Amino acid sequence: MEALKIKKDAESTIKEFLKFLMDKNKVEAVFTLTRMEDGFSYCLIKDKEIISQAVPFYPFMPSNAGKMLSRITLIEPLRKPILAILRPCELRGFIELVKRDQGSTENIFFMSFICPGVFPLKKLSLGYEEELKEYKEKIEKGELSKNIRNTCKACEHFIPYNSDLTISFIGENGKESILIIENEKGENLIQGFEGERIEFEKNFVNMKRERKKERERIIRETEEKGKGLDKFISLFGRCISCHGCSKICPICYCKLCDFDSSSHEIEPSSYEDEVKKRGGIRVPSNVLLYHLGRLIHVSVSCVNCGMCSDICPVDIPVSELFLVASLRVQRLFNYIPGRDYKEEIPLKTFEPEEFTEIAG
Amino acid sequence: MKVNKLIIDFLLSLMEKKKIDAFLLPLKVPSGDYYTYVLTDEKELIEKGKPVPPVMPAGGARALQSLTRLGSLKRKTGIIMHPCQIKAVIELYKMKQVDLENLYLFSFDCPGVFPAEKYIKNPKETEKKFEEGNQNEIRELCKICDKFDMVYVDVYIGIKKENIYLTPKTEKGEEILKDFKLENQPEPEEIKKRRSEAKEKFIEDFEKEIKGPDALLSLFSKCINCHNCMRVCPVCYCRQCFFDSEAFDLSSENYLLRAKNKKALRFPADTLLFHLGRMSHMIFSCVNCGNCEDACPMDIPIGRIFTFMAEKIQKEFDYVPGRDPQERLPLVTYEEEELKWVEKPYTRILRR
Repeated sequence: MEALKIKKDAESTIKEFLKFLMDKNKVEAVFTLTRMEDGFSYCLIKDKEIISQAVPFYPFMPSNAGKMLSRITLIEPLRKPILAILRPCELRGFIELVKRDQGSTENIFFMSFICPGVFPLKKLSLGYEEELKEYKEKIEKGELSKNIRNTCKACEHFIPYNSDLTISFIGENGKESILIIENEKGENLIQGFEGERIEFEKNFVNMKRERKKERERIIRETEEKGKGLDKFISLFGRCISCHGCSKICPICYCKLCDFDSSSHEIEPSSYEDEVKKRGGIRVPSNVLLYHLGRLIHVSVSCVNCGMCSDICPVDIPVSELFLVASLRVQRLFNYIPGRDYKEEIPLKTFEPEEFTEIAG
Repeated sequence: MKVNKLIIDFLLSLMEKKKIDAFLLPLKVPSGDYYTYVLTDEKELIEKGKPVPPVMPAGGARALQSLTRLGSLKRKTGIIMHPCQIKAVIELYKMKQVDLENLYLFSFDCPGVFPAEKYIKNPKETEKKFEEGNQNEIRELCKICDKFDMVYVDVYIGIKKENIYLTPKTEKGEEILKDFKLENQPEPEEIKKRRSEAKEKFIEDFEKEIKGPDALLSLFSKCINCHNCMRVCPVCYCRQCFFDSEAFDLSSENYLLRAKNKKALRFPADTLLFHLGRMSHMIFSCVNCGNCEDACPMDIPIGRIFTFMAEKIQKEFDYVPGRDPQERLPLVTYEEEELKWVEKPYTRILRR
């Protein structure tokens, strides 16, 4: 694959590149994680001054950016070109949303990178200087940080799909970065930016191996914690039904979740009948039904970004459980969410012969 | 806690006397790492109940909303909740989200609750701290809660030195306590005084952190728009929040224009608007329970922000949420002469 080798670390490279794009009027604005006076935030940057504050590689995911892009393009596509820098799972989330008519890719240049993962949000409200140092050292060596989200450790798709330009800085000793040109759009964008033309193969064998090992471990540990109805119930017993996991999920796009709708309201008499039958009933009920229902709706498109675990106020390992379930479901359908715009969502496609072993 | 046992015995005696048919009360979940409300008429289950649990049971006042939004329960049902949650129940009643028919409300001198995160990390140790009467690690808002006894209940349960004192607060309460020998309720003076002082200090100190648009903006800057605070708020009852509605589906041009005007537009956008909007909708009824602060994944002191505001606004309207079900919500009452000091500058501008 053709690429541009730049003899600078990734942060300087990206800042120069963004400035170049704005100067040459190649894009109208840039969507990226940005360092603000009071913290880090996704921003749609319109002004060249702010471009130097872009920190797309900072290990922090305050929201799945795919969801944010869907907010921008829900009603109409962008009329002028922008560049969006997203992590691979965020880009996949956006593609899944586009498949559900929740956004448009028109006029967006996608830039992504070989993703080293992000820290859990909780870590960021504490001090984390040490962790940041470890994170950088590991990237330079091409290894996995031990402080990132579980779903990041387990990530199978840290090499992006559907990006026009991909940056790689893993294992480059922090002194070089590679701008991989994925397609014609990427080529047009990079035209005129200085660097050494090279051939580049996205192998990352070590990273793949390390993550596979972690994935197997996390799946094993999660199954120990949550396999079987009893264990599943005990994991979700402490759920306070805030439904934050659905609100933050890049795939859960419904304005009003079915489980919040009037169809799930229970008549007082039904509660009293249940008490007669069972002696006692948890109120509000159907806590598990919500999670299983959401799992059914989401698992085929789950991009394992890990937002749900991060925002759970009672520390339920939601994303780990969704990881275990979604990997199996996605394998059954040979479906990788966000791999290809044109790939139809399995739940929407009909095959006359499918799962005959189950359906008979 | 001996008190829990005493309260349970009292509740069971009400059942034996056929004064109450069933209870909604806190119970530990099977995995032992949290509490939830359970509706039950079974003696064995009630015996396992913890009327005064160390954490806020899942759902809070919303449990009762889920039970009675569509109508009243047919059996006489006793509801035992923390004072702040009963207050929220009363507010929800005013907003037609709860049906109080056949309900008997119970609450108690509240020792406060531990933050959920703390409890889940180590349930056993936290239970122990709670039993020992630890007041240092409870929710920040519990530490400054001095109005816990200003709550509308049928029976108020005073707690002093491992003893309970029953006081009927309504005719219904008097009726069910008819056969009980009652002692005078000791005033929870000491704890109220301590919390009152802490609250005064808090209001004074927090003013510096919150005053002015810049301070407010920076307090909320970490917000990731998960709306957990709204979802666990016992008085935010809208099925679909206005801020999640189509009113906030904006065109891409709108976003680009705003990005241009501000140089850069943050995403999620309009987070401060959400918080201020939510505040203006529910601040009159805010019961300072702290559920919002507990559920915030970004550690924004949201409960303290709302308590600070609620304290000032509720005082302005001489309104105490949850004090009396007949008291009308300030936003639905009309007074000809009201808040003149706010309106004055406006009339002056008109005359000019």
